[in-house]
Amino acid sequence: MKKSTRKSLPILIVATIIAFLFLLPLVWMVFTSFKTLSESMASSSILPSAWTMENYLSVFSSVSEAPILRWLFNTAFITAVGTVLVVIVDILAAYSLARLKVPGKKMIMGMVFAALAIPGIVTLFPAFYMFKTAGLLDTYVPLILPYTASTMGVFLMYNFLISFPKDLEEAAYIDGATQWQILYHVIFPSIKPVAMTLGVITFLGIYNDFLWPSLVTNSNDMKTITLGIATLIQGANFVNPAKMMASTVIATIPAIIVFLIANKYIVKSVTNTGIK
Amino acid sequence: MFFRMEVKMYKGASHKIWSILMVSPFVVFFLLFWALPLGLGVWISLHNWNVSSGNLGFVSLENYKSILTPGTLYYDLFMKGLKNTLYFVVISVPPLVLISLGLALVIDNLPKRFKPIYRTIFFISYSISVTAVSAIFLWLFNGNGGYFNNVLESIGIIREPINWLGEQPYAWLTILITTVWWTIGFNMMLFINALDEVDVALYEAADLDGAGAFSKFISVTWPQIRNVAFFIIIMTVIASFNLYGQTKLITGGGPEQSTNSLIMNIQTSVFGMNQLGIGSAMAIIMGLIMMVIIVFQYWLSYRNKE
Repeated sequence: MKKSTRKSLPILIVATIIAFLFLLPLVWMVFTSFKTLSESMASSSILPSAWTMENYLSVFSSVSEAPILRWLFNTAFITAVGTVLVVIVDILAAYSLARLKVPGKKMIMGMVFAALAIPGIVTLFPAFYMFKTAGLLDTYVPLILPYTASTMGVFLMYNFLISFPKDLEEAAYIDGATQWQILYHVIFPSIKPVAMTLGVITFLGIYNDFLWPSLVTNSNDMKTITLGIATLIQGANFVNPAKMMASTVIATIPAIIVFLIANKYIVKSVTNTGIK
Repeated sequence: MFFRMEVKMYKGASHKIWSILMVSPFVVFFLLFWALPLGLGVWISLHNWNVSSGNLGFVSLENYKSILTPGTLYYDLFMKGLKNTLYFVVISVPPLVLISLGLALVIDNLPKRFKPIYRTIFFISYSISVTAVSAIFLWLFNGNGGYFNNVLESIGIIREPINWLGEQPYAWLTILITTVWWTIGFNMMLFINALDEVDVALYEAADLDGAGAFSKFISVTWPQIRNVAFFIIIMTVIASFNLYGQTKLITGGGPEQSTNSLIMNIQTSVFGMNQLGIGSAMAIIMGLIMMVIIVFQYWLSYRNKE
């Protein structure tokens, strides 16, 4: 039963109006970043009457109050190392739990489920205090390592491996492959879509995290771009929407690009989190 | 008869070592950054513990007592935060669930080739951080020079600018609109996936019976997406309970502390008042309240099923 385009015209119109409302804040953000300060505060028009690059130039030149390139570098480093680390650690753990009958499996799985049920706020401030006591505040360590404790990835890949046939692995074993070769040549290729999914969610999670980085960083030079935007909201750019939007455009573009490229993996992840 | 060769790859001593080696990075990280902070949090909550000067002595359950005794400073801080947060949960969960269901139904009824583009547009805000979202909506709603006021004034709906961020109920309305725009796409995706699983044959049967759109939804769609709907409600309650970034950055907790969320107030007791012991106890009570609500909702959904 194929619906004709005419029959679906009303729903298309409704969807287009909603899409317009959804895009309005983003479109406004982009255009406002090209407005002059006075126009950005007084105008009701969404398009700038006179386009200016001044906001971007001043965002990149005010290095002492807002070292935005440094924030982007920090974010790139933290998200890259954090995401790769989480994905590798979780693949190894899920493989061991799902296939290798690791001793203490029941206890580990029990912990994984317990962690999913206990709200994150409970561990937040003690974790901060741990890093403070260890003298690691304002370093990359607390900005990367704690994300590896997330159990969501293990859960995701464990579920995938449990429902994935073992035949290929067994065939490789009979042919004399070592455990490492099986992992590298058989498991990695087949688990790749789930690993991509986990990678995208982890990337966005680390990139967009606000509360945790705000606890464990002090100096301007150690901030992520997400935290940097918060600093600007509460400080220098507070009275200047045009400049604020220029920095916000710079902060959101990397995440939006990753989102659009990896869209299909995120869609899959929503299905794969195990709820039916 | 066919005898399958016994494959021994998942057994034996060398595989035991492999399995331990492979699982141990995760277990070590998990113990260090989840189990240890959890235990430390409980331990700290039983002590008079400063952020700056550390442990000042065991106080047993005194921290919990002073948070739960009416009239004390910490009681006021905790209860005000809890009250504001519960208020936000009550006003935000219905729109976050119902509008996302509406969007999912819109997507579901679109011609196939239009689905991906609209789905992506409705979901795109999921990729944006709460700080960027706050920066945008702070300036859309700002009372002085904000875009919405400019638009409303220019088309003559209002004469005086509305103080969106500094007056109630506008401040909550701003936080609500921001949150809906920011997070609704995720709920919508869950609903879309649930709608994809609905048996098409049942729709065709309902069509033959001459059922209208609404009665089709009630009698065919709803029973099949009900479990997902319950799951979405629970997820949304948890998310709204964790309200922090929007109120911290857009309203700063104002006006008159009416949008100070529970997490903001816990943060105040830890960093503003230097009371890590009190803050840890507050966080544990908050965690317990959330778990009770979740268990209660599960109980409701199971009871309804029978």
